[in-house]
Amino acid sequence: MQNRNLTATILNALVLVVVIVLAFPILWIVMNSFKEAADINAYPPVFLYDPTLENYKVLFDLADAEATNYGTLKIEFFKPIISSVIISVGAVLLSLIAGVPAGYALARYKFRGKEDLAFFILGFRFAPVLLVIIPMFQFFQAVGLYDSYLGMIWVYQLVTLPMIIWLSRSYVEDIPLEIEEAAAICGAKRPRILLQIVLPLLRPGLVGASLLVFLLAWHNFALGLILTAKNTPVTVALLKLLNPGVSFYPVVSAGLVVSMIVPILLIMLGQRHLERGLTFGALK
Amino acid sequence: MARKKARSGNTFLLLALLPAVLILGGFILLFFWGFYQSLTDMRFGRTRVDFEGLGNYARLFSRGRFWDSVSATAIYAFSAVACEAILGLAIAKLFNTRALLAKWFRPAILLPLVLPPLSVALMWTTMMNPETGVLNYFLSFIGIDNFTWTSKAETAMFAVVFIDVWTFTPFFALIIFAGLRGIAPDIVEGARMNGAKAWGIFWRIELPMVLPYILLASLFRLIDSLNQFDIIFGTTQGGPGNATDVLSVSAYFTAFQNLYFGRGAAIMIVNWLIVLISAIVVVKLWQFTRKRVS
Repeated sequence: MQNRNLTATILNALVLVVVIVLAFPILWIVMNSFKEAADINAYPPVFLYDPTLENYKVLFDLADAEATNYGTLKIEFFKPIISSVIISVGAVLLSLIAGVPAGYALARYKFRGKEDLAFFILGFRFAPVLLVIIPMFQFFQAVGLYDSYLGMIWVYQLVTLPMIIWLSRSYVEDIPLEIEEAAAICGAKRPRILLQIVLPLLRPGLVGASLLVFLLAWHNFALGLILTAKNTPVTVALLKLLNPGVSFYPVVSAGLVVSMIVPILLIMLGQRHLERGLTFGALK
Repeated sequence: MARKKARSGNTFLLLALLPAVLILGGFILLFFWGFYQSLTDMRFGRTRVDFEGLGNYARLFSRGRFWDSVSATAIYAFSAVACEAILGLAIAKLFNTRALLAKWFRPAILLPLVLPPLSVALMWTTMMNPETGVLNYFLSFIGIDNFTWTSKAETAMFAVVFIDVWTFTPFFALIIFAGLRGIAPDIVEGARMNGAKAWGIFWRIELPMVLPYILLASLFRLIDSLNQFDIIFGTTQGGPGNATDVLSVSAYFTAFQNLYFGRGAAIMIVNWLIVLISAIVVVKLWQFTRKRVS
């Protein structure tokens, strides 16, 4: 009995260590984002301090120029957030429209080379993005899609569409075929079966898949780095914050927190769906 | 009647697949265009383009720096995936025990996976600062002073692999955890009745049974790590020197800073081939272990 208690204590302690290793960096960056510049660059690091909102004010260009340590330098972080939201939401919507019917077809129809097609589609998720970007860059310059939301939403399909197809396929397979067959026997036509029976059953799954795919779009960096100039997503704007030099750590911290808050809120909404999504539908 | 139904089914199939196939097909065209570019001396801003055959490749292969990039890519990906597999297995085992905190904190495993990799990279950059970083503050307690992290060539690769491991070990843990949960309890119970020790159960039963899961996770992570751009671009941009100059970062600078589009495309084609060959090897291993288990 004594022995078992000891084992349990050790195991709980180990779990705690893992959780601290995973959570500490994030807590630290949140703490930094509320510090003054002097405190951030202090050594040994400061753990207790008077929190300030100055970094966030600078980030969103709300502070009076004289009131900050950064003089008149102008940072625009609000627009990248809007851009990221427009691009990510647009990419998710387009992927849903194009991907859900394909996922349904892959789940319900038998045809030659189906599994090959499915794996080929998943392969896009792992395509070396830069290989496609080089020709894409020239193409975008030529047709005027460079630095446009429309172009970005299209190239983001490289990331979002394969995932939507795979996940919606896995969710359709969860719906018993009998439900559709029963409706067909009752004389319902296919479009009606799809819209009134399959889609409502599919909705929770699709919400989860959309959450995950939005996350993937939000994460993306390389596409925005090369294919945008003014309409940059958050990730690219973050890197630009670092350019002026080391003294920018405080504002970068605030920017990092902003870029991380959105995913952390999403994980709270749909933890179960995210696990399934992150593992490509392998976990149900 | 039956034939008519089959035909309307085919029409539906075609309509359902067409939008997705069109969008993805566009990327395939771009891929082939990229391959064609790798055979030319294309430069950005110059209209004249000459076909060179394998000239770009020959020039790359004769350069030491290119082979440094190839080995940096391989070292980065394989060491990251190996560490992640071992740590992920340990964490999955830990969270599969009856420890109370394991149940409570399981969602915390997801944390690193939902953050943008570039944000993660910048986050660690601020913590890895050799003079003022909080990591060196902690290291000073165990007698390590002024660890150089990304600022010196000798430690830069370790630092970027460390970031990859922190970010993606949870991915392994998540998948292996599912594998452990899938083992029927009576198999383990039966072995225990026959006098097997905990270590014996782990080596003889659990590890062989979760091996396909480990390989599946390795497949996904290996492909992503061989293509890794965000973490390295966000921290070292390939430096110091060319210590972490993996192929994708090297291709970026070749194409978009030196404007040698043809040569950049050639580097990415090589990267893609490495990814493809590694993926095929892991898939074969995976099929082999899965057959053995079932």
